[in-house]
Amino acid sequence: MNLLTSFTITTLFMLIMPIILTCTPAYENKLYPQYVKTTVSYAFTISMIPMVMFIHSGQEAIISNWHWMTIQTLKLSLSFKLDYFSMIFVPVALFVTWSIMEFSMWYMHADPNINRFFKYLLMFLVTMMILVTANNLFQLFIGWEGVGIMSFLLIGWWYGRTDANTAALQAVLYNRIGDVGFIMAMAWFLLNTNAWDFQQIFMIEHKNLNIPLAGLLLAATGKSAQFGLHPWLPSAMEGPTPVSALLHSSTMVVAGVFLLVRFHPLMEHNKTIQTVTLCLGAMTTLFTAICALTQNDIKKIIAFSTSSQLGLMIVTIGINQPHLAFLHICTHAFFKAMLFLCSGSIIHSLNDEQDIRKMGGLFKSLPFTTTALIIGTLALTGMPFLTGFYSKDLIIETANTSYTNAWALLTTLIATSMTAAYSTRIVFFTLLGQPRYSPIITINENNQFLTNSVKRLLLGSIFAGFLISHNITPTTVPQMTMPCHLKMMALTVTILGFILALELNLAMQNLKFDYPLSTFKFSNQLGYFPTTLHRLAPMMGLSMSQKTASMLLDAIWLENVLPKSISYFQMKSSITVSNQKGLIKLYFLSFMITLILSLFMLNFHE
Amino acid sequence: MSVVYINLFLAFTMSLMGLLIYRSHLMSSLLCLEGMMLSLFVMLAVTILSNHFTLASMTPIILLVFAACEAALGLSLLVMVSNTYGTDYVQNLNLLQC
Repeated sequence: MNLLTSFTITTLFMLIMPIILTCTPAYENKLYPQYVKTTVSYAFTISMIPMVMFIHSGQEAIISNWHWMTIQTLKLSLSFKLDYFSMIFVPVALFVTWSIMEFSMWYMHADPNINRFFKYLLMFLVTMMILVTANNLFQLFIGWEGVGIMSFLLIGWWYGRTDANTAALQAVLYNRIGDVGFIMAMAWFLLNTNAWDFQQIFMIEHKNLNIPLAGLLLAATGKSAQFGLHPWLPSAMEGPTPVSALLHSSTMVVAGVFLLVRFHPLMEHNKTIQTVTLCLGAMTTLFTAICALTQNDIKKIIAFSTSSQLGLMIVTIGINQPHLAFLHICTHAFFKAMLFLCSGSIIHSLNDEQDIRKMGGLFKSLPFTTTALIIGTLALTGMPFLTGFYSKDLIIETANTSYTNAWALLTTLIATSMTAAYSTRIVFFTLLGQPRYSPIITINENNQFLTNSVKRLLLGSIFAGFLISHNITPTTVPQMTMPCHLKMMALTVTILGFILALELNLAMQNLKFDYPLSTFKFSNQLGYFPTTLHRLAPMMGLSMSQKTASMLLDAIWLENVLPKSISYFQMKSSITVSNQKGLIKLYFLSFMITLILSLFMLNFHE
Repeated sequence: MSVVYINLFLAFTMSLMGLLIYRSHLMSSLLCLEGMMLSLFVMLAVTILSNHFTLASMTPIILLVFAACEAALGLSLLVMVSNTYGTDYVQNLNLLQC
């Protein structure tokens, strides 16, 4: 019994140690990355024990050890909630982080600031742990903001590059908009329930929960890149590949989904918010899958794939299945991180080439990476009995058999087939065919760090779904019986997507690239969303405010409203109305003749 | 009708002729317009004074006000034409353009 709480605290404390050691000579050491990696691996091992204890006996715990402050009637303390969600997520996150750190020992070995990079990764991990194990909203918010800040620092790692700075700023700003929703939810809970603790919030019966749940949904939209606040995720690929693998595929972007999963007792009785969530998720998953179909940067395709899977998780929450969404979070971490690591291996081997139109024929040159990429792709698309199958297929089955919005269901299915399509596209362009890169580079994947880390994630991608889903405590009962065509629906649309993409790619291989259609341009330019919104709206606001401030009084009120507008109006109307020819003397003459004539005629009438 | 009235009526008619028949300068028509106003003013004043029509004693003043306004308008038009063409010749006003 005691091992649960003490080992959890040990895990969390072990992760803080290397950060504390920053001010000592250990930080300047060349072996600091190795030290951080082994710390994370030991933390993973130790955190497995509470997880096994939880699986065995279903025991949950809340650690509440330090009373921070009391503000009037609100008591804030440092409390950790170790329940089903946090105790399964912590080992998964630590496992993935361990592999990513080992990978980045190879990927970033030539970077002079590699120690700082590892420190940032570790700080990110610590804030993510704080977010996941938080028992009150204040601690969750600390973790929330922490991951946002670390995301900013890590995306802008190569800060000499303008695009990286812009992308980091974009990430922070979009997250901030989501934070407004979070703070609104916090304020509502404080006003109406006088608590920020989950236990107290879930205990009280509320009348109308639309406002805080809408705020939480907005926060999830910002953090998990749902439609409307999504452009930061593809732009975040400016950071190094380990950052993309850790933050923007497995851990940070699922924080939004995790928040909604944490609040599932409140959401399960509110049909309105569930419908909004469902439609938002369906919209996101379809839109980002459309955008992923025509991108040319391999990291951007995988980023859009992440965004699409996040939309799928939000759809799952929308059909009132938070446990399935959480399962998808855990399984998705494995294969998405592995996909990113494989792309990092390809990029590094091809001398920093990220465009898939310049890759090709890596099937024979990088066999291990090829294996991992193909297995990751199959797991992503939900190949039966790999990892993705256990969560994704369940989600699609549950959505098919539930009383839900038919349009959202249709878009989710279309997006599933598009997942297969763009995954085929990645495999086709990078691995198959003839090489399209410069032949003088040496392609080498022989490094132990790379192979060990990818191997671990590979084993996870194959077996983790099976292991997790067969060992967790039973949650909601899945639908056991359904018509045959509904059961095969996910597999059918996936195979359809595969075949269609393969045929199109093979058929178009030797044809000339004609001028692109408008649908291609729509998909390639991300739906014109960043183009219009990032430049147009701020420029209109700024120019309008400048005009109002400087020119409103002088140029408009004093000058233009009365005098110039009157003269302008008169001139325009006189031009429109008059049809004179300017023969003034003739007009005057005719006037005079008429006068004299009338004088004579009217005077001599008798 | 007494001689005064015929005199003033003749002055008015002369000015009217001058307004309607002139050769080239726009200014001459404006001057004749002033002449018309002058003769009208005197005719009005004499009529009111000789008939002891006290109530209408204000009318010549009002006539003067309106005459001043219209003279100003006429002069501003003249100045606009003169700005564009340098002179006020009437044959310049042949463009169908503002």
